[in-house]
Parts: sequence; C-alpha cells; structure tokens
Amino acid sequence: MSLPDRIPILGWVWEDLLFLTFAGVMLGAALLVVIGRNIIRSGLWMILSFGALAGLYVLLGTPLVAAAQVLVYIGAISVLILFAIMLTQSKEGPSRLVFHHQAWAGALAAVALALLLALTVLGTEWPQADGQLRPSPSADIARLLFGEYLLAFEVVSVLLLAAVIGGVFLAKREDLPDPGEAAIEQVRLGSSPGGPTGYTSGGIGPSEADAARPSGGIGSTGAATTPGALGPSVGMSGRGDAP
Amino acid sequence: MTSPAELLALAPLALVAGLAMLVIVVDMIRPGRDSLVTAVAVIGLVAAIVVTALVWTTGTRELFDGAYVRDDLTNFLDLLFLSIALLTILFSPDYLRPRALPMAEFASTLLFAISGAMLLGASRDLLVLFLGLELLVLPGYMLAGFAKRDGFSTEGAIKYFLLGSFSSAILLFGLALTWGYTGSTRVTDVASYLEGVVAGNQALSPALVMGLALLTTGAAFKIAAVPFHYWTPDAYQGSPTPVTGYLSVGPKVAAFALILRLFVEALSPLKGDWVAIVVVLAALTMTLGNLVALTQDNIKRMLAYSSIAHTGYILVGLAAFAASPRGSEAERAGLFGLLFYSLAYAFMNLGAFGVVAALQRRPGVTSQISSFSGLGRRALGPALLMTLFLLSLTGIPPLAGFFAKAYVILPALQAGGVWLPLLAVIAVLNAAAAAFYYLRVIIVMFVQDPPENAAGVSTGRAMGVGLAATAILTIVIGVVPTFVDITQRAANALLAPL
Repeated sequence: MSLPDRIPILGWVWEDLLFLTFAGVMLGAALLVVIGRNIIRSGLWMILSFGALAGLYVLLGTPLVAAAQVLVYIGAISVLILFAIMLTQSKEGPSRLVFHHQAWAGALAAVALALLLALTVLGTEWPQADGQLRPSPSADIARLLFGEYLLAFEVVSVLLLAAVIGGVFLAKREDLPDPGEAAIEQVRLGSSPGGPTGYTSGGIGPSEADAARPSGGIGSTGAATTPGALGPSVGMSGRGDAP
Repeated sequence: MTSPAELLALAPLALVAGLAMLVIVVDMIRPGRDSLVTAVAVIGLVAAIVVTALVWTTGTRELFDGAYVRDDLTNFLDLLFLSIALLTILFSPDYLRPRALPMAEFASTLLFAISGAMLLGASRDLLVLFLGLELLVLPGYMLAGFAKRDGFSTEGAIKYFLLGSFSSAILLFGLALTWGYTGSTRVTDVASYLEGVVAGNQALSPALVMGLALLTTGAAFKIAAVPFHYWTPDAYQGSPTPVTGYLSVGPKVAAFALILRLFVEALSPLKGDWVAIVVVLAALTMTLGNLVALTQDNIKRMLAYSSIAHTGYILVGLAAFAASPRGSEAERAGLFGLLFYSLAYAFMNLGAFGVVAALQRRPGVTSQISSFSGLGRRALGPALLMTLFLLSLTGIPPLAGFFAKAYVILPALQAGGVWLPLLAVIAVLNAAAAAFYYLRVIIVMFVQDPPENAAGVSTGRAMGVGLAATAILTIVIGVVPTFVDITQRAANALLAPL
C-alpha cells in the first residue's frame, strides 16, 4: 500500500509533519535541558535535542551535515560532556543550580529575543530564497572546505591545539612546591622572613593575592555563588570601593 | 596558489603560531628551564618583528581568495601585536618565578593568543574573523586563570569565560545574519552588496538591523565598552599582573582590529546607521570608566576602569570616521586617531602594569595603591617610570598620550554636526577628570612616607629591558615622525577601494 500525497484531514505534505515533529522534539528537549534539576538528565535530554536537529538537516537535503551532527555531537560531544559531569561532580557542591535565582528574568529575555529573531526572519526578504532545496553532495562540501574556506579550516586546527594545551594546563594536578625550595627562593630574593610575605610553605594561598581587597568589590570567591554575581551589581560595585 | 612570495606574506603569522608550539616542545625536552623558554620566545618574537618589517617592503598582497590580506594595516597591527607579546614576556618572569608558575605554558598560550590577534588584523572573511577572535580570547581565558591556586584568579577567569562566550555567540549570530542576507562571507562582497542596498535607497531590512545590533553588542563586549564592561574589573584584578597588562591592551587592540575589518570595511556603507550608537557608547564608556576609577583603592582595579575610559577615547576616533562624509579628510583623520591611540595606549598602559608587576616580584606586595607609598624614596627608578606612564595616560605633552588624545579629539571637531563636537567636549572634560586619579598615585609615591618594613624594588634583567623599551616608546611615539607615518599608511590602507 502507498501513503496518500497529503495527510488526510490537515492537508499538509508529509515533510511538514516531519518538520513539526523534529522541531517540536528539539525545542522540547532543549527546554528540558535548561529547566531540569538533575544535570545528568539534562545531558541526556541534550542528546535527544541534537538527534532531532540531525533529522532537520536530513529534511533540508544535507545528509552529510546530518551524519556529522550524529557522529560529532551525539557521538563525541555528548559523551564527553557526560564524562566531564561524572568526573567533576562533587558531593560537597550545592545540589541546586546556583544561577537559578534569575530564572524568570532569563526566561523573559529568552522569549523576547526569540520573538524578535522570529520577526526578523519572517520580515526579511532573503535574497537567495528561491524556494528550491538542492541536495548538496559531499564533493561540493569538500571543494569548499579545501578551496574557499581553506584558511578557516587550517585556523580551526590551531585553535583546537591552543585549547588542548590550555585545557591540559588548567586540568593538570599540580604538586605543591617543596617547602625547602620556597624558603631558598625567599632568601634569594632577599625578603625578610618577618616581612609582609604571604609566600609560605603552603604555596600561594589566598593571602598572597590582594589580601586587603575591600569587601565592597567582588569580595570573596563566594561572591560567584551569590545571586546576581554576574549581573550588573558586579561591575557597579566598584563604586563601593571608596574608603 | 602558493608561490614563495605568497608564503612570505603568511610568514609572520606562521612564525608566531610555530613559535607557540616550539616553546612547548622546548619545555618538553628540557622541563622547567624557564630562562631557556623565555630566551626562545624573545628571540622568536624579535625574528618575527624583523620578518614583518621586511615583508612590509613587498607591498599589498591577497591570499586564500581574498580571505587574508597583507596590507599596510596588517603590517602595522602585526608589529603592534608582536611588540605587545614581546613586552608581556619580558615582564612575566619576575612575577611568575616567585609564585612557581610555569613559564612555558604561559608563553605558549600568550603566543597562540597573539596569532589570533594577528589573524584578526589580516582577515577579510567573516568566518576567519570569528575564528581569529576565538583564537585570541580562548587562550586569554586561560591566562586570566593562570594562577590556579588563587581563588581570585579563578573567579575572574570564570566570569571572563562565561561573559566572553556569550558575547562570542552573540557576535556569531550577527555574522550569520549578515552572511545570510548578503550571501557571502567575504568582506569585499559584503561591502559591495551593502553598497547596492544603500544606493537603492530602501529601508534597511529587519535582518540587517538585527545583524547590526548583534554585531555591535558582540564587539562592544570584546572592547569592554560601557554597558558591556562588567567582566573587566574582576578579570583584570584577579589575573596575575603581567596577564592583566596583556589583557588590557592585546585583546582590546585586537577587538578594534575586528571593528576595523568588520565595521569600517564590510559595514561602512551602513555607517550612517551605526554612528549614533558609537557616539553613545563612546560618551558612556569614557564617563563611567573615569568616574568609577576615581574611587578605586586597588591599582589594578583602577587601571581596569581607566582602560575602559581609554576604550571610550578610541571610540571617539571611530565616531569621527563614521560621522564624516565619505572621502573627506575628517574620515581619514578619525581612523588615523583610532590607530594612533591604540599604538600609544598599548605601550603606556603595558608600562604601567609592568611597574606594578616589578613591585610584586616580592610576593606579598598587594595591589593596593598604598603599596606605592613612599616609592620615590625606596626605589627612584620604578617610581619615575610609573610617573612617566601615568602622566602619559593623563595626556601631558609631549608624551604619547597627549598626541593620542589630540588625534582623536580634533577629527571629532572637524566632523561637523552637533553631536561629534559635543563628544569632543565630553572627551576633554573626561581627560581633565582622569588627571585626579592618575596624579593621586604620583602623590602617594612621592609625598607619603614609606611604611616601616618597606623594602626596595629589585628587577630582573628582562623586566629592566622591557620597562626601558616601553618608557622610550612612550616618549618618542608622539614626537618621532616615523610612527605618525606608519599609522597614516595603515589608515590609508583601510580607505583604499576594496
């Protein structure tokens, strides 16, 4: 048996139904990523969202991009993120997300921006829109990648190398400096032991950093977890630094 | 496509990216030899500067189908970025060594960031511009958090990273809309397409308006213009001092390079539409930066707000360009002012942070302004250097800062209309207000008594060379005509037909 050309009651072509399904799944899953309380579940919902996006790419006639989406985003990035969560999550940390204090403001801003972008896309006469979808063979993509966009392609590899080196440095567990060495260093630099030095055998503690930082500024590291720490209050708080 | 001459045009960029990898390899073979790493980085950067100067004599050249251009602007910016990297490397051993922070990772990350900056200055493709920007800022986040065991450094780095990532995404969205509407990622094609839109005298389509808004927001974040500056004070205060010096000049000048390639080259047909927002941003940025800097007790935080104010002055040059009729002398003068200000600002600001880093060679010296008290009696050399840099930042003739301010304010007066002269007046008033907080530090250094247990300041050889170089440049940039000449050539390259 064969399907009718259009969906019986609604009168849509089948592609429309597929598009709505994929788009609905993608947006719903993305919303669950953001509002979920459990970060592992958020990661799993993200995989579903990525999968629905791959479906949209197929509908647009770009199977190669869809395959890359499945391989790279679902296969590699999602797994990497899940591993990162599992390896770094500690029991001492707050179980509730610390940035949820401005959730309503964030939601309003997101909806406003989405409406604005939707109006923008609908209200523009896009020059290239001729209503025809042409499937793009992988040979064409390869030609673009190694022709017109060769420089971008090469720069990406340098960017990744820089990111890897930086990431390894930040993640590397460092042994604290040997107390003996620290003492020698101190003598070599000629600073008196009783002087205002924070360089003790414990390495560089918070005392070394600007110890007298006024509380009106960004204050302690704990400020990062207080409500609005990333909001305007951070920058403006500098005004409170006056003696 | 790769003839030897074309490879030569790429040489400065390739040298720096290669040097970044070489530094890591050297550290792998001889671990922990910080002085060796410093020597390799310094020799490599000096070689890159020489190569860039040689390549400059070969003229303008386009590579990769027009995605990469080596013109007078590229060469000017490359020399500036290479000097910033060289000075930062000279300033860093004195600070990093006593704190047991590794030099190799620092130098390599810095060099990767500088290769991103050089790419930004040379790129005429929206995609490559974005990648260059990421190559610039990603290592920057890492440098901000370089003192891993210092909570403030990590806090500043996280704030810088989060807000920086958001602003990159916003900019990318703007680039996507611009590409979608004009149908090309090449700056030249975008400019000629927009030329047609403007000639057709139609109202701007919603996609262009939205794209312009997103691009402006993203770029304003990167240069730390008010009200997109929230990340700046925390990131600057928390970072290790040599990194703060780099962050206050490298990414800022590079973000202006992005603005030059994106707004001045690609979007200049629409400049009547974006000039108003630049005027507002410039006025807000100067005023708020200076007002908040007045109340700071921490020298790094004070210089952070002062760097925000200087962003405002540089924006005055951009506003003068955008407000002037096409082909006019004021248009050229505005761009020249922008570039000259960036040049002068880079050296005087790096120098000021260099002195702060020299003081902090002795661990335990905080960034409080009070740590400068009586410095004139304890260590006359660093105190005099700091005075020189602060006077230049204030804009006292005949130092570089004075000429820089003059070159951005005069075109704003020439540009005509009501708003640009008003902006020039605001800039002058701001410069006067800024004198208060710069001079306060000088008074603390020379009038206040040193604290009882205060020690002198000892500097390493690299630090001494770096400080001497910045001091000489701060004095000569304004008065030796060579610097004006090369800046003029760079500004002319921007206005040459694409």
